[in-house]
Amino acid sequence: MKIRIILLFTLCAGLACAQENAVYRDMDLPVEQYEPHVRGDMTLSKTYPYWKDRNKLDWRLAGNPEENWKLNWKFMDPPFNNTVHGGHFALDRGESLYKSLNRDGRFAACLGATSGRLKGLRTRYPMYRKDLRRVAGLEAVIEHCASAQGEVLQHGSYDNSAVSLYLASLSQGMPMRIDVSKGPMREAFERGRQLFHTKAGRLNFACSSCHTRNVGQLVRGSHITTPYGDVAHYPVYRTQYRLQSLHLRMMECNLDAGVQPLMPGSQSYTDLEVFLSALSNGYTVSVPAERN
Amino acid sequence: MRSIGVAAWAFCLAMPGLAAGLPEDAALDRSADIKTLVPRVVVNSGRLEWEPHKRDLSAWPTLSHLDRRATIRPQQAAYSAPLNGDAARGRAIAMDPARGNCIACHTLPGEDWPGSVGHLLLGYKRQGHADAYVYQQIYDRRVLNPNTVMPPFGAFGVLSDQDIRDLVAYVQSLD
Ligand code: HEC
Ligand code: HEC
Repeated sequence: MKIRIILLFTLCAGLACAQENAVYRDMDLPVEQYEPHVRGDMTLSKTYPYWKDRNKLDWRLAGNPEENWKLNWKFMDPPFNNTVHGGHFALDRGESLYKSLNRDGRFAACLGATSGRLKGLRTRYPMYRKDLRRVAGLEAVIEHCASAQGEVLQHGSYDNSAVSLYLASLSQGMPMRIDVSKGPMREAFERGRQLFHTKAGRLNFACSSCHTRNVGQLVRGSHITTPYGDVAHYPVYRTQYRLQSLHLRMMECNLDAGVQPLMPGSQSYTDLEVFLSALSNGYTVSVPAERN
Repeated sequence: MRSIGVAAWAFCLAMPGLAAGLPEDAALDRSADIKTLVPRVVVNSGRLEWEPHKRDLSAWPTLSHLDRRATIRPQQAAYSAPLNGDAARGRAIAMDPARGNCIACHTLPGEDWPGSVGHLLLGYKRQGHADAYVYQQIYDRRVLNPNTVMPPFGAFGVLSDQDIRDLVAYVQSLD
Protein backbone atom coordinates (compact mmCIF):
# COMPACT_ATOMS: atom_id res chain seq x y z
CA MET A 1 0.00 0.00 0.00
CA LYS A 2 2.69 2.42 1.07
CA ILE A 3 4.69 1.59 -2.04
CA ARG A 4 1.62 2.26 -4.17
CA ILE A 5 1.19 5.73 -2.72
CA ILE A 6 4.84 6.56 -3.31
CA LEU A 7 4.53 5.28 -6.87
CA LEU A 8 1.44 7.39 -7.43
CA PHE A 9 3.23 10.40 -6.03
CA THR A 10 6.30 10.04 -8.23
CA LEU A 11 4.06 9.49 -11.23
CA CYS A 12 2.14 12.70 -10.50
CA ALA A 13 5.36 14.56 -9.79
CA GLY A 14 6.70 13.38 -13.14
CA LEU A 15 3.57 14.54 -14.93
CA ALA A 16 3.49 17.88 -13.17
CA CYS A 17 7.13 18.50 -14.05
CA ALA A 18 6.46 17.52 -17.64
CA GLN A 19 3.65 20.02 -17.75
CA GLU A 20 5.80 22.69 -16.19
CA ASN A 21 8.37 21.95 -18.90
CA ALA A 22 5.94 22.71 -21.71
CA VAL A 23 6.97 26.37 -21.72
CA TYR A 24 6.17 28.67 -24.61
CA ARG A 25 8.53 28.52 -27.61
CA ASP A 26 8.26 29.90 -31.12
CA MET A 27 8.52 27.14 -33.71
CA ASP A 28 9.81 27.46 -37.26
CA LEU A 29 6.68 26.19 -38.99
CA PRO A 30 5.80 23.87 -40.54
CA VAL A 31 7.87 21.24 -38.71
CA GLU A 32 8.88 19.18 -41.73
CA GLN A 33 8.55 15.38 -41.76
CA TYR A 34 12.16 14.38 -42.69
CA GLU A 35 12.73 10.87 -43.96
CA PRO A 36 15.10 8.85 -41.72
CA HIS A 37 17.28 8.10 -44.73
CA VAL A 38 19.81 10.21 -46.64
CA ARG A 39 17.71 10.13 -49.83
CA GLY A 40 15.19 12.33 -48.00
CA ASP A 41 17.29 15.25 -49.25
CA MET A 42 15.53 14.82 -52.58
CA THR A 43 12.55 16.63 -51.06
CA LEU A 44 14.72 19.25 -49.32
CA SER A 45 17.82 20.71 -50.99
CA LYS A 46 17.82 18.22 -53.90
CA THR A 47 21.63 18.34 -53.96
CA TYR A 48 21.81 14.61 -53.10
CA PRO A 49 22.67 13.43 -56.64
CA TYR A 50 25.85 15.58 -56.53
CA TRP A 51 27.24 13.94 -53.39
CA LYS A 52 25.48 10.58 -53.28
CA ASP A 53 28.61 8.68 -54.35
CA ARG A 54 31.81 10.02 -52.80
CA ASN A 55 33.86 8.10 -55.38
CA LYS A 56 32.29 10.02 -58.25
CA LEU A 57 32.28 13.66 -57.15
CA ASP A 58 32.47 16.16 -59.96
CA TRP A 59 35.92 17.72 -59.61
CA ARG A 60 34.93 20.75 -61.70
CA LEU A 61 32.11 21.52 -59.27
CA ALA A 62 34.51 21.01 -56.36
CA GLY A 63 36.83 23.63 -57.86
CA ASN A 64 34.11 26.26 -58.13
CA PRO A 65 33.86 28.28 -54.91
CA GLU A 66 30.38 29.61 -55.81
CA GLU A 67 28.89 26.19 -56.44
CA ASN A 68 30.92 23.68 -54.45
CA TRP A 69 28.53 23.78 -51.47
CA LYS A 70 26.21 21.65 -53.63
CA LEU A 71 28.62 18.80 -52.95
CA ASN A 72 27.62 19.14 -49.25
CA TRP A 73 31.39 19.57 -48.60
CA LYS A 74 31.99 15.89 -49.39
CA PHE A 75 35.06 16.88 -51.39
CA MET A 76 36.68 17.38 -47.99
CA ASP A 77 36.09 13.72 -47.06
CA PRO A 78 38.26 10.87 -48.28
CA PRO A 79 38.76 9.61 -50.95
CA PHE A 80 38.41 12.95 -52.82
CA ASN A 81 40.42 14.67 -50.10
CA ASN A 82 43.66 12.69 -49.98
CA THR A 83 45.83 15.29 -48.25
CA VAL A 84 47.46 14.50 -44.93
CA HIS A 85 45.80 16.67 -42.25
CA GLY A 86 45.34 16.75 -38.48
CA GLY A 87 42.62 14.10 -38.67
CA HIS A 88 45.21 11.48 -39.58
CA PHE A 89 47.29 12.20 -36.49
CA ALA A 90 44.12 12.05 -34.39
CA LEU A 91 43.31 8.67 -35.90
CA ASP A 92 46.71 7.29 -34.88
CA ARG A 93 46.26 8.69 -31.39
CA GLY A 94 42.79 7.11 -31.21
CA GLU A 95 44.15 3.72 -32.17
CA SER A 96 46.84 3.70 -29.50
CA LEU A 97 44.41 5.00 -26.84
CA TYR A 98 41.96 2.30 -27.78
CA LYS A 99 44.58 -0.42 -27.58
CA SER A 100 45.74 0.64 -24.15
CA LEU A 101 42.14 0.86 -22.89
CA ASN A 102 41.24 -2.53 -24.31
CA ARG A 103 44.11 -4.65 -23.01
CA ASP A 104 41.73 -7.08 -21.34
CA GLY A 105 38.86 -6.77 -23.84
CA ARG A 106 36.55 -5.10 -21.33
CA PHE A 107 36.47 -1.78 -23.19
CA ALA A 108 35.32 -3.32 -26.47
CA ALA A 109 32.64 -5.34 -24.70
CA CYS A 110 31.41 -2.22 -22.94
CA LEU A 111 31.22 -0.33 -26.26
CA GLY A 112 28.94 -3.07 -27.57
CA ALA A 113 31.33 -5.10 -29.72
CA THR A 114 29.86 -8.41 -30.87
CA SER A 115 32.40 -11.14 -29.97
CA GLY A 116 35.21 -8.60 -29.95
CA ARG A 117 34.45 -7.25 -33.44
CA LEU A 118 34.13 -3.48 -33.80
CA LYS A 119 33.44 -3.45 -37.52
CA GLY A 120 30.09 -1.75 -38.14
CA LEU A 121 29.76 -0.53 -34.55
CA ARG A 122 29.86 3.12 -35.63
CA THR A 123 26.95 2.66 -38.01
CA ARG A 124 24.63 1.51 -35.18
CA TYR A 125 25.15 4.53 -32.89
CA PRO A 126 23.30 6.35 -31.32
CA MET A 127 21.41 3.42 -29.83
CA TYR A 128 19.29 2.60 -26.80
CA ARG A 129 21.56 1.13 -24.13
CA LYS A 130 19.65 -1.07 -21.71
CA ASP A 131 22.44 -0.88 -19.14
CA LEU A 132 22.40 2.93 -19.17
CA ARG A 133 18.60 3.01 -19.55
CA ARG A 134 18.85 5.74 -22.16
CA VAL A 135 19.71 6.52 -25.74
CA ALA A 136 23.41 7.33 -26.09
CA GLY A 137 25.78 8.34 -28.86
CA LEU A 138 29.17 6.74 -29.43
CA GLU A 139 31.14 9.51 -27.69
CA ALA A 140 28.89 9.31 -24.61
CA VAL A 141 29.50 5.55 -24.45
CA ILE A 142 33.26 6.02 -24.89
CA GLU A 143 33.24 8.41 -21.94
CA HIS A 144 31.18 5.96 -19.89
CA CYS A 145 33.32 2.90 -20.68
CA ALA A 146 36.59 4.74 -20.06
CA SER A 147 35.36 5.99 -16.71
CA ALA A 148 34.38 2.43 -15.74
CA GLN A 149 38.14 1.77 -15.95
CA GLY A 150 39.06 4.92 -14.07
CA GLU A 151 40.08 6.93 -17.15
CA VAL A 152 38.75 10.40 -17.96
CA LEU A 153 37.75 10.81 -21.61
CA GLN A 154 35.29 13.70 -21.51
CA HIS A 155 32.69 13.91 -24.24
CA GLY A 156 34.07 16.39 -26.78
CA SER A 157 37.68 16.16 -25.60
CA TYR A 158 40.39 15.45 -28.16
CA ASP A 159 41.11 11.97 -26.83
CA ASN A 160 37.44 10.97 -26.70
CA SER A 161 36.94 12.12 -30.29
CA ALA A 162 40.19 10.42 -31.33
CA VAL A 163 38.89 7.06 -30.06
CA SER A 164 35.55 7.75 -31.77
CA LEU A 165 37.40 8.53 -35.00
CA TYR A 166 39.35 5.27 -34.76
CA LEU A 167 36.13 3.31 -34.22
CA ALA A 168 34.56 5.11 -37.21
CA SER A 169 37.55 4.11 -39.35
CA LEU A 170 36.72 0.46 -38.63
CA SER A 171 33.33 1.05 -40.31
CA GLN A 172 34.85 2.85 -43.29
CA GLY A 173 32.60 2.54 -46.34
CA MET A 174 29.69 1.01 -44.40
CA PRO A 175 26.32 2.80 -44.49
CA MET A 176 24.87 4.31 -41.32
CA ARG A 177 21.89 2.27 -40.15
CA ILE A 178 20.17 3.35 -36.96
CA ASP A 179 16.63 2.22 -36.32
CA VAL A 180 14.26 4.98 -35.32
CA SER A 181 11.08 3.07 -36.09
CA LYS A 182 10.15 2.19 -32.52
CA GLY A 183 10.65 2.62 -28.79
CA PRO A 184 13.04 5.11 -27.18
CA MET A 185 14.91 5.72 -30.46
CA ARG A 186 11.72 6.75 -32.18
CA GLU A 187 10.89 9.08 -29.30
CA ALA A 188 14.40 10.59 -29.41
CA PHE A 189 14.11 11.13 -33.18
CA GLU A 190 10.77 12.86 -32.71
CA ARG A 191 12.13 15.11 -29.94
CA GLY A 192 15.14 15.87 -32.14
CA ARG A 193 12.91 16.79 -35.05
CA GLN A 194 10.92 19.18 -32.88
CA LEU A 195 14.12 20.67 -31.40
CA PHE A 196 15.50 21.21 -34.89
CA HIS A 197 12.54 23.54 -35.52
CA THR A 198 12.49 25.20 -32.09
CA LYS A 199 13.53 28.84 -32.04
CA ALA A 200 15.87 29.88 -29.25
CA GLY A 201 18.40 32.44 -28.15
CA ARG A 202 18.98 36.12 -28.58
CA LEU A 203 17.85 36.15 -32.21
CA ASN A 204 15.10 33.52 -32.03
CA PHE A 205 16.61 31.21 -34.66
CA ALA A 206 15.98 27.49 -35.06
CA CYS A 207 18.44 25.04 -36.64
CA SER A 208 15.92 24.77 -39.46
CA SER A 209 15.91 28.56 -39.95
CA CYS A 210 19.27 27.98 -41.61
CA HIS A 211 19.60 24.29 -42.53
CA THR A 212 16.08 23.81 -43.93
CA ARG A 213 14.83 27.22 -45.05
CA ASN A 214 18.08 28.80 -46.25
CA VAL A 215 20.19 26.07 -47.84
CA GLY A 216 22.70 27.66 -50.21
CA GLN A 217 22.66 31.07 -48.49
CA LEU A 218 25.88 32.59 -47.19
CA VAL A 219 26.35 32.86 -43.43
CA ARG A 220 29.69 34.11 -42.10
CA GLY A 221 31.31 33.36 -45.43
CA SER A 222 30.11 29.75 -45.75
CA HIS A 223 27.15 28.41 -47.64
CA ILE A 224 24.55 26.61 -45.55
CA THR A 225 23.99 22.98 -46.53
CA THR A 226 21.32 20.34 -46.05
CA PRO A 227 21.05 18.45 -42.71
CA TYR A 228 20.99 15.16 -44.67
CA GLY A 229 24.20 13.13 -44.78
CA ASP A 230 26.00 15.24 -42.14
CA VAL A 231 26.96 12.65 -39.57
CA ALA A 232 28.94 9.97 -41.41
CA HIS A 233 32.23 11.93 -41.40
CA TYR A 234 32.35 12.79 -37.68
CA PRO A 235 34.41 13.55 -35.61
CA VAL A 236 35.89 15.97 -38.08
CA TYR A 237 39.19 17.83 -38.32
CA ARG A 238 38.77 21.63 -38.03
CA THR A 239 41.57 24.16 -37.89
CA GLN A 240 40.12 26.09 -34.97
CA TYR A 241 38.44 23.28 -33.05
CA ARG A 242 41.13 20.69 -33.86
CA LEU A 243 39.05 17.56 -33.62
CA GLN A 244 35.36 18.39 -33.43
CA SER A 245 32.70 15.95 -32.27
CA LEU A 246 29.13 16.36 -33.46
CA HIS A 247 28.04 17.81 -30.11
CA LEU A 248 30.79 20.43 -30.33
CA ARG A 249 29.59 21.31 -33.84
CA MET A 250 26.12 21.88 -32.38
CA MET A 251 27.66 24.10 -29.70
CA GLU A 252 29.40 26.08 -32.44
CA CYS A 253 26.15 26.53 -34.42
CA ASN A 254 24.36 27.54 -31.21
CA LEU A 255 27.03 30.15 -30.41
CA ASP A 256 27.07 31.49 -33.98
CA ALA A 257 23.30 31.92 -33.90
CA GLY A 258 23.26 33.63 -30.47
CA VAL A 259 21.95 30.63 -28.54
CA GLN A 260 23.39 29.65 -25.16
CA PRO A 261 25.05 26.26 -25.87
CA LEU A 262 24.47 23.08 -23.84
CA MET A 263 26.99 20.61 -22.49
CA PRO A 264 28.22 17.82 -24.78
CA GLY A 265 26.16 14.76 -23.90
CA SER A 266 23.10 16.77 -22.85
CA GLN A 267 19.79 15.13 -23.67
CA SER A 268 18.82 17.77 -26.22
CA TYR A 269 22.05 17.35 -28.18
CA THR A 270 21.63 13.58 -28.00
CA ASP A 271 18.10 13.90 -29.40
CA LEU A 272 19.45 16.10 -32.20
CA GLU A 273 22.23 13.57 -32.77
CA VAL A 274 19.64 10.80 -33.19
CA PHE A 275 17.67 12.99 -35.58
CA LEU A 276 20.72 13.95 -37.67
CA SER A 277 22.15 10.41 -37.65
CA ALA A 278 18.85 9.05 -38.99
CA LEU A 279 19.10 11.64 -41.79
CA SER A 280 22.45 10.01 -42.64
CA ASN A 281 21.05 6.46 -42.76
CA GLY A 282 22.24 4.78 -45.94
CA TYR A 283 25.24 7.12 -46.27
CA THR A 284 28.69 5.60 -45.91
CA VAL A 285 31.14 6.35 -43.11
CA SER A 286 34.20 8.19 -44.43
CA VAL A 287 36.96 9.41 -42.13
CA PRO A 288 39.18 11.26 -41.42
CA ALA A 289 37.43 14.26 -42.97
CA GLU A 290 38.14 17.98 -42.79
CA ARG A 291 35.89 21.01 -42.78
CA ASN A 292 36.78 24.69 -43.12
CA MET B 1 -5.44 14.16 -5.57
CA ARG B 2 -5.40 17.88 -5.94
CA SER B 3 -3.12 18.37 -2.94
CA ILE B 4 -0.74 15.78 -4.38
CA GLY B 5 -0.67 17.76 -7.60
CA VAL B 6 0.15 20.95 -5.74
CA ALA B 7 2.80 19.15 -3.71
CA ALA B 8 4.34 17.81 -6.88
CA TRP B 9 4.38 21.26 -8.39
CA ALA B 10 6.05 22.68 -5.30
CA PHE B 11 8.59 19.86 -5.52
CA CYS B 12 9.46 20.89 -9.09
CA LEU B 13 9.97 24.47 -8.02
CA ALA B 14 12.16 23.40 -5.16
CA MET B 15 14.59 21.52 -7.39
CA PRO B 16 17.90 23.40 -7.23
CA GLY B 17 18.82 25.39 -10.30
CA LEU B 18 15.50 24.75 -11.97
CA ALA B 19 13.69 27.39 -9.95
CA ALA B 20 15.84 30.12 -11.46
CA GLY B 21 15.18 28.52 -14.84
CA LEU B 22 18.80 28.37 -15.95
CA PRO B 23 19.08 24.79 -17.17
CA GLU B 24 21.51 22.44 -15.42
CA ASP B 25 22.93 21.20 -18.71
CA ALA B 26 23.92 24.58 -20.19
CA ALA B 27 27.61 25.36 -20.70
CA LEU B 28 27.83 28.09 -18.07
CA ASP B 29 30.06 29.55 -15.44
CA ARG B 30 27.37 30.72 -13.05
CA SER B 31 29.67 32.93 -11.02
CA ALA B 32 31.17 34.90 -13.92
CA ASP B 33 29.98 38.14 -15.50
CA ILE B 34 29.97 36.51 -18.91
CA LYS B 35 28.45 33.16 -18.03
CA THR B 36 28.41 31.62 -21.51
CA LEU B 37 31.32 29.25 -22.10
CA VAL B 38 33.04 28.16 -25.31
CA PRO B 39 34.78 24.76 -25.38
CA ARG B 40 38.44 24.57 -26.29
CA VAL B 41 39.77 21.26 -27.53
CA VAL B 42 43.25 20.49 -26.19
CA VAL B 43 45.32 18.13 -28.33
CA ASN B 44 46.19 14.81 -26.64
CA SER B 45 43.99 15.47 -23.62
CA GLY B 46 40.95 13.70 -22.21
CA ARG B 47 39.54 16.94 -20.84
CA LEU B 48 37.92 19.94 -22.45
CA GLU B 49 38.93 23.43 -21.48
CA TRP B 50 36.55 26.37 -21.35
CA GLU B 51 36.78 30.05 -22.17
CA PRO B 52 34.23 32.83 -21.74
CA HIS B 53 32.29 33.67 -24.91
CA LYS B 54 32.53 37.22 -26.28
CA ARG B 55 29.01 37.94 -25.03
CA ASP B 56 26.72 36.48 -22.43
CA LEU B 57 23.86 34.48 -23.96
CA SER B 58 22.44 32.96 -20.79
CA ALA B 59 19.51 35.40 -20.58
CA TRP B 60 17.66 33.90 -23.56
CA PRO B 61 15.93 30.52 -23.84
CA THR B 62 18.10 27.52 -24.79
CA LEU B 63 17.26 24.19 -26.44
CA SER B 64 17.50 22.35 -23.11
CA HIS B 65 14.54 20.23 -22.07
CA LEU B 66 15.23 21.51 -18.56
CA ASP B 67 14.92 25.16 -19.57
CA ARG B 68 11.72 26.38 -17.95
CA ARG B 69 11.99 30.02 -18.98
CA ALA B 70 9.28 30.83 -21.50
CA THR B 71 10.08 32.70 -24.70
CA ILE B 72 8.70 36.24 -24.61
CA ARG B 73 5.47 36.19 -26.59
CA PRO B 74 4.86 38.52 -29.55
CA GLN B 75 4.68 41.99 -28.08
CA GLN B 76 3.03 45.22 -29.16
CA ALA B 77 5.54 48.09 -28.88
CA ALA B 78 4.66 51.13 -26.79
CA TYR B 79 5.85 53.75 -29.27
CA SER B 80 5.33 57.45 -28.72
CA ALA B 81 6.04 60.32 -31.14
CA PRO B 82 8.16 62.32 -31.82
CA LEU B 83 10.69 59.91 -33.31
CA ASN B 84 13.87 61.69 -32.21
CA GLY B 85 15.97 59.25 -34.24
CA ASP B 86 19.42 59.80 -35.74
CA ALA B 87 19.76 58.19 -39.19
CA ALA B 88 23.58 58.14 -39.09
CA ARG B 89 23.60 56.29 -35.77
CA GLY B 90 20.91 53.99 -37.17
CA ARG B 91 23.09 53.15 -40.15
CA ALA B 92 25.99 52.24 -37.87
CA ILE B 93 23.75 49.91 -35.86
CA ALA B 94 22.42 48.31 -39.03
CA MET B 95 25.96 47.52 -40.23
CA ASP B 96 27.36 46.37 -36.87
CA PRO B 97 27.40 42.55 -36.62
CA ALA B 98 27.33 42.82 -32.82
CA ARG B 99 24.22 45.00 -32.73
CA GLY B 100 21.52 45.21 -35.41
CA ASN B 101 23.34 43.29 -38.13
CA CYS B 102 20.41 44.12 -40.44
CA ILE B 103 22.90 43.82 -43.31
CA ALA B 104 23.06 40.05 -42.74
CA CYS B 105 19.55 39.74 -44.18
CA HIS B 106 18.71 43.01 -45.92
CA THR B 107 20.17 44.73 -48.93
CA LEU B 108 21.26 48.18 -47.78
CA PRO B 109 23.04 50.88 -49.78
CA GLY B 110 26.82 51.13 -49.61
CA GLU B 111 27.58 47.50 -48.82
CA ASP B 112 29.08 45.09 -51.31
CA TRP B 113 28.12 41.91 -49.45
CA PRO B 114 24.39 42.24 -48.97
CA GLY B 115 22.20 39.56 -47.49
CA SER B 116 19.36 38.08 -49.46
CA VAL B 117 16.93 36.62 -46.91
CA GLY B 118 14.93 39.70 -46.00
CA HIS B 119 13.04 42.20 -48.06
CA LEU B 120 14.78 44.89 -49.99
CA LEU B 121 14.95 47.99 -47.86
CA LEU B 122 16.28 50.12 -50.72
CA GLY B 123 13.73 52.80 -51.53
CA TYR B 124 11.87 52.08 -48.29
CA LYS B 125 11.12 55.78 -47.83
CA ARG B 126 8.95 55.73 -50.94
CA GLN B 127 6.62 53.15 -49.37
CA GLY B 128 5.45 55.91 -47.02
CA HIS B 129 4.99 53.86 -43.84
CA ALA B 130 4.21 55.56 -40.52
CA ASP B 131 7.09 55.63 -38.03
CA ALA B 132 5.01 53.68 -35.50
CA TYR B 133 4.54 50.87 -38.03
CA VAL B 134 8.25 50.69 -38.84
CA TYR B 135 9.11 50.82 -35.14
CA GLN B 136 6.89 47.77 -34.55
CA GLN B 137 8.62 45.88 -37.42
CA ILE B 138 11.99 46.22 -35.71
CA TYR B 139 10.67 45.93 -32.15
CA ASP B 140 8.80 42.66 -32.79
CA ARG B 141 7.79 41.63 -36.29
CA ARG B 142 6.07 38.49 -34.96
CA VAL B 143 3.02 40.65 -34.26
CA LEU B 144 2.60 41.05 -38.04
CA ASN B 145 4.04 37.68 -39.11
CA PRO B 146 4.20 35.00 -36.37
CA ASN B 147 6.59 32.87 -38.45
CA THR B 148 9.03 35.64 -39.39
CA VAL B 149 12.78 34.95 -39.36
CA MET B 150 13.49 38.54 -38.35
CA PRO B 151 14.58 38.66 -34.68
CA PRO B 152 12.29 40.56 -32.24
CA PHE B 153 15.02 43.08 -31.43
CA GLY B 154 12.97 45.19 -29.03
CA ALA B 155 10.89 42.52 -27.27
CA PHE B 156 14.05 40.44 -26.62
CA GLY B 157 16.02 43.41 -25.28
CA VAL B 158 18.66 43.11 -28.01
CA LEU B 159 18.28 46.78 -29.02
CA SER B 160 17.20 49.70 -26.87
CA ASP B 161 14.30 52.07 -27.54
CA GLN B 162 16.77 54.72 -28.76
CA ASP B 163 18.56 52.19 -31.03
CA ILE B 164 15.24 51.35 -32.67
CA ARG B 165 14.33 55.03 -33.09
CA ASP B 166 17.68 55.57 -34.82
CA LEU B 167 17.03 52.58 -37.09
CA VAL B 168 13.56 53.85 -37.97
CA ALA B 169 15.08 57.20 -38.91
CA TYR B 170 17.67 55.36 -41.02
CA VAL B 171 15.34 53.04 -42.99
CA GLN B 172 12.83 55.87 -43.44
CA SER B 173 15.66 57.85 -45.11
CA LEU B 174 16.43 55.19 -47.78
CA ASP B 175 15.48 56.47 -51.24
C1 HEC C 1 22.67 31.02 -38.51
C2 HEC C 1 22.57 29.84 -39.32
C3 HEC C 1 22.73 28.48 -38.64
C4 HEC C 1 21.98 27.96 -37.62
C5 HEC C 1 20.82 28.62 -36.88
C6 HEC C 1 22.48 26.62 -37.40
N1 HEC C 1 23.51 26.34 -38.25
FE1 HEC C 1 24.49 24.55 -38.42
N2 HEC C 1 25.72 25.37 -39.83
C7 HEC C 1 25.61 26.66 -40.34
C8 HEC C 1 26.67 26.88 -41.31
C9 HEC C 1 26.91 28.16 -42.11
C10 HEC C 1 27.42 25.66 -41.35
C11 HEC C 1 28.65 25.36 -42.21
C12 HEC C 1 28.24 24.99 -43.61
C13 HEC C 1 27.42 23.72 -43.66
O1 HEC C 1 27.98 22.63 -43.55
O2 HEC C 1 26.18 23.82 -43.74
C14 HEC C 1 26.77 24.74 -40.41
C15 HEC C 1 27.19 23.43 -40.20
C16 HEC C 1 26.51 22.51 -39.42
C17 HEC C 1 26.88 21.11 -39.31
C18 HEC C 1 28.11 20.45 -39.94
C19 HEC C 1 27.89 19.89 -41.30
C20 HEC C 1 29.12 19.18 -41.80
O3 HEC C 1 29.16 18.88 -42.99
O4 HEC C 1 30.03 18.88 -41.02
C21 HEC C 1 25.97 20.54 -38.47
C22 HEC C 1 25.94 19.07 -38.04
C23 HEC C 1 25.04 21.56 -38.07
N3 HEC C 1 25.39 22.75 -38.67
C24 HEC C 1 23.97 21.36 -37.21
C25 HEC C 1 23.18 22.41 -36.71
C26 HEC C 1 22.21 22.23 -35.65
C27 HEC C 1 21.88 20.93 -34.96
C28 HEC C 1 21.67 23.47 -35.41
C29 HEC C 1 20.67 23.86 -34.33
C30 HEC C 1 21.13 23.63 -32.98
C31 HEC C 1 22.30 24.40 -36.35
N4 HEC C 1 23.21 23.72 -37.10
C32 HEC C 1 21.97 25.75 -36.44
C33 HEC C 1 24.65 27.60 -40.02
C34 HEC C 1 23.70 27.45 -39.03
C1 HEC D 1 17.57 37.04 -39.92
C2 HEC D 1 17.25 37.93 -40.97
C3 HEC D 1 16.86 39.37 -40.65
C4 HEC D 1 17.54 40.28 -39.90
C5 HEC D 1 18.85 40.10 -39.12
C6 HEC D 1 16.80 41.52 -40.00
N1 HEC D 1 15.70 41.33 -40.77
FE1 HEC D 1 14.28 42.76 -41.24
N2 HEC D 1 13.18 41.35 -42.20
C7 HEC D 1 13.59 40.06 -42.46
C8 HEC D 1 12.57 39.41 -43.26
C9 HEC D 1 12.67 37.97 -43.80
C10 HEC D 1 11.53 40.35 -43.46
C11 HEC D 1 10.22 40.21 -44.24
C12 HEC D 1 9.52 38.91 -44.23
C13 HEC D 1 9.32 38.27 -42.89
O1 HEC D 1 8.81 38.88 -41.94
O2 HEC D 1 9.69 37.10 -42.77
C14 HEC D 1 11.97 41.56 -42.78
C15 HEC D 1 11.23 42.74 -42.76
C16 HEC D 1 11.71 43.95 -42.32
C17 HEC D 1 11.01 45.22 -42.43
C18 HEC D 1 9.63 45.39 -42.98
C19 HEC D 1 9.60 45.59 -44.45
C20 HEC D 1 8.17 45.84 -44.85
O3 HEC D 1 7.59 44.93 -45.43
O4 HEC D 1 7.65 46.91 -44.54
C21 HEC D 1 11.82 46.18 -41.91
C22 HEC D 1 11.55 47.67 -41.80
C23 HEC D 1 13.03 45.52 -41.47
N3 HEC D 1 12.94 44.18 -41.74
C24 HEC D 1 14.10 46.15 -40.88
C25 HEC D 1 15.17 45.51 -40.29
C26 HEC D 1 16.18 46.17 -39.51
C27 HEC D 1 16.26 47.67 -39.24
C28 HEC D 1 17.03 45.19 -39.08
C29 HEC D 1 18.25 45.34 -38.17
C30 HEC D 1 17.95 45.84 -36.85
C31 HEC D 1 16.56 43.93 -39.61
N4 HEC D 1 15.44 44.15 -40.34
C32 HEC D 1 17.19 42.71 -39.40
C33 HEC D 1 14.76 39.45 -42.02
C34 HEC D 1 15.70 40.03 -41.20
